Amino acid sequence: MSMTDTAKDNTPAARRIDWISFLSRWGTLISLGLLIVLFTIGRPEVFMTLRNMLNILNQVSILGMIAFGLTICLVVGLFDLSIGAMATFGGYFAARFLAELGMEAGVVVALVIVAVLLLSALVGMINGALISYLGISAIVETLAMSFVVTGAVLGVSGGRTVYATEIPDAFTIIGQGKIAGIPNPVLILLLLGVVLWVFLEHTQTGRNMYALGGNREASRLSGISFSRYALIAMAISGACAALGGLVAGANLGAGRPQGVGDVYLLNAFVAVFIGASTLKPGKFHILGTAVGVLLIGVINNGLSVMGVATFWQYIVQGGILILALISASLNAVRRV
Amino acid sequence: MTSENQPTGPGGSDDVLTIRGLTKQFPGTLALDDVSFSVRRGEIHALLGENGAGKSTLIKCVCGAYTATAGEIAIDGKPVSIATPADATAAGIAVVHQHMNLVPTLSVAENLHLGERLPKRGGLLHWRQVHQRARAVLDRVGVDVPTTALVQDLRPEQHAMISIARAVSADARVIILDEPTNALLPHEVDRLFDQMRKLAARGHSFLYVSHRLSEVFQIADRATVLRDGRHAGTFDRADMTHSGIVEAIVGRGGAIAERRVQSHVRPGTLMRVHDLSGQRASGITFDLAPGEIVGIAGLPGSGADETMNLLFGRNRPTGGWVEIGGQRFPLRDPADAIAAGIASVPKNRLAEAIFHGDSVRSNVTLTSLSNYLREPLLRLVHRGREDKAAQEMTQRMRVRMPGIEASIDDLSGGNQQKVVLGRWLSTGASVFLLNSPTAAVDVGAKKEIYDLIDDLAKDGKGIVFASTELEEYGLVCDRVFVFSAGRVVGELAGTEVSEPNIMTLAAGGAIAA
Repeated sequence: MSMTDTAKDNTPAARRIDWISFLSRWGTLISLGLLIVLFTIGRPEVFMTLRNMLNILNQVSILGMIAFGLTICLVVGLFDLSIGAMATFGGYFAARFLAELGMEAGVVVALVIVAVLLLSALVGMINGALISYLGISAIVETLAMSFVVTGAVLGVSGGRTVYATEIPDAFTIIGQGKIAGIPNPVLILLLLGVVLWVFLEHTQTGRNMYALGGNREASRLSGISFSRYALIAMAISGACAALGGLVAGANLGAGRPQGVGDVYLLNAFVAVFIGASTLKPGKFHILGTAVGVLLIGVINNGLSVMGVATFWQYIVQGGILILALISASLNAVRRV
Repeated sequence: MTSENQPTGPGGSDDVLTIRGLTKQFPGTLALDDVSFSVRRGEIHALLGENGAGKSTLIKCVCGAYTATAGEIAIDGKPVSIATPADATAAGIAVVHQHMNLVPTLSVAENLHLGERLPKRGGLLHWRQVHQRARAVLDRVGVDVPTTALVQDLRPEQHAMISIARAVSADARVIILDEPTNALLPHEVDRLFDQMRKLAARGHSFLYVSHRLSEVFQIADRATVLRDGRHAGTFDRADMTHSGIVEAIVGRGGAIAERRVQSHVRPGTLMRVHDLSGQRASGITFDLAPGEIVGIAGLPGSGADETMNLLFGRNRPTGGWVEIGGQRFPLRDPADAIAAGIASVPKNRLAEAIFHGDSVRSNVTLTSLSNYLREPLLRLVHRGREDKAAQEMTQRMRVRMPGIEASIDDLSGGNQQKVVLGRWLSTGASVFLLNSPTAAVDVGAKKEIYDLIDDLAKDGKGIVFASTELEEYGLVCDRVFVFSAGRVVGELAGTEVSEPNIMTLAAGGAIAA
């Protein structure tokens, strides 16, 4: 009787549901596959080449880093709208500090990078502290913080870009170099993805974050402190965004005080939400975010390879997100 | 005085709702198998059965959420076809759900008009008329609340009455109440029942679904029992006996729960509470011995719930202290209480204890993950050890499930509660605070949870128990503190622990205050 009891409850209407749950799990991966097939058929000699594949990965690597960080704070249930500003912050200050120091040594570059990442983690922790201790809405607080950070960078820079000639090569190589034919940004993205995946799925800290995102009151009653994890999550999100901006700066060979991070903000949200309807419907996770990021990269690259006008990239991207959200909501509806 | 003209069905029967041969086939399961019974005019008819017996399926067929595979539903003797919820409403069937379909932030008048066209004057809402109409509806069901009051400011039983008032105002022939008393306390239930009886006397019919047997005896004119999707009997008031109904429900004789045969109290003191005080309770002092089950009882606002919250650090104490094993500890947050070895099963399982969408495994191991780490720095979890612990704990708790990776939402209420208990057992807690652990759990699972509580006591754990069902104190506790107006007004022990004694103390104290 024990097994049949629950089994019985599950079977009603099973056949109709299977399709919905199948689509909400695999829909985004299927559309990714379909797009790849489509573009391969469209321009086989250009699209499906190792070079173009690496190119796609390189193009999305910065978006990927920022989106991975965003995944962490969405897991806890917090929106971070400051990631765009934080990316600009990271890119500008890494270049500026190096220019000020004027030293070429790799150690100095490494130390400066660590310092910039710690600084941005600190800003993230301020976000986390304001949100959790004062109970301010994360959306509004991080929006405000993004203005503060944007203004601070503009003020410090006086609007002046730090140019390639002022920046040591040891820094620009992070964005422009390759190891074994694979661009450095791609390697950094992969490393970050693996680390954050292990962090979320296989550490107690990550599991507690999922618990908080799932049911905050039940988490509190289980002894999980919201403020502590809000601090950690926002710090990771801030540091990842700064890392993305920093790699973007290295890639560009310049420290721009504005306009670096803005383009990534909305795309990062799109990627993470596409990810939340992949494999584990309704759950933010690193693997899903990676699929979301890839989907955006493939759409943008494929359509431009096909010579389709740019506006289609927006339409296709938005359309796929809407489809992903529909399949996720259909899946949620049947749970009621 | 009812002004409705009531058409008499063919044959002049008194039946308002007639269900004949109702069958619902799901792929692989027969959820309802040829069920027939009827609800008479002015009758309060209880519908009973364990979880999975077919009660919800039956209600869903009657209210149009499901379409029946076979069978007939008739209103006033006339067969009606119910394919959508709108059909059910048109036929005069209204359902008041467990979680009332009210908007807490809107006024009573607005809630009574939800989904209806509001009276207008000159293109604008005619508020005076809205309130007048609402007043008329409330007077009809005898609810004395201002129409301008916000629903969130009302008492729980008033929520139920507002929902019923909505049904009455829509001229419902039959009002189906789906476990309306789950969130209610005894005196609130009494007030609800008083008003239901008045409405029944004026010709309104109720189909009343509940897990609480004592209430069924209190309110029902007749009771129909479902078991495994089949009709297991309809009892007239005169034939309704406790054992008869329980036998029909579980299909195997025996009482639901007997009083615990023996106490497991051991010598010594596990927890000492001294003069603990908070916003809504003060001067709480007692010692808890290993193996002892102490009840904290009282009407709402009496301080009983507050005491449970203070002991777990949910609300901050304003004075006094608590010590476990001779060690005093702070109570600023639940984390403090947990660190001191206190476990808590909160009153509202779905909102406060269950992590929806997660597996049984992660629900059971959440609080004890620290025990399964590979190393303390990165806090990597050893999945093998975690899985093993989850397996062992769910087996020990006798959780019925397809496996530890099954979603917690696919388990029945009773099995979810066993998972929550298991979660705390794995933390090695020595004191368990259990607040209504059998709420919204079916009869069979209730017995199992009582057994598990008894096992905890046998193991030498200390238990502080509270419940909205007063009869449970007598089944579970060694002694009970009864609260009123924020203070302990009496202590009952052994055979003194009974529903009437608790009620007398709780109510007496309330009058004195």
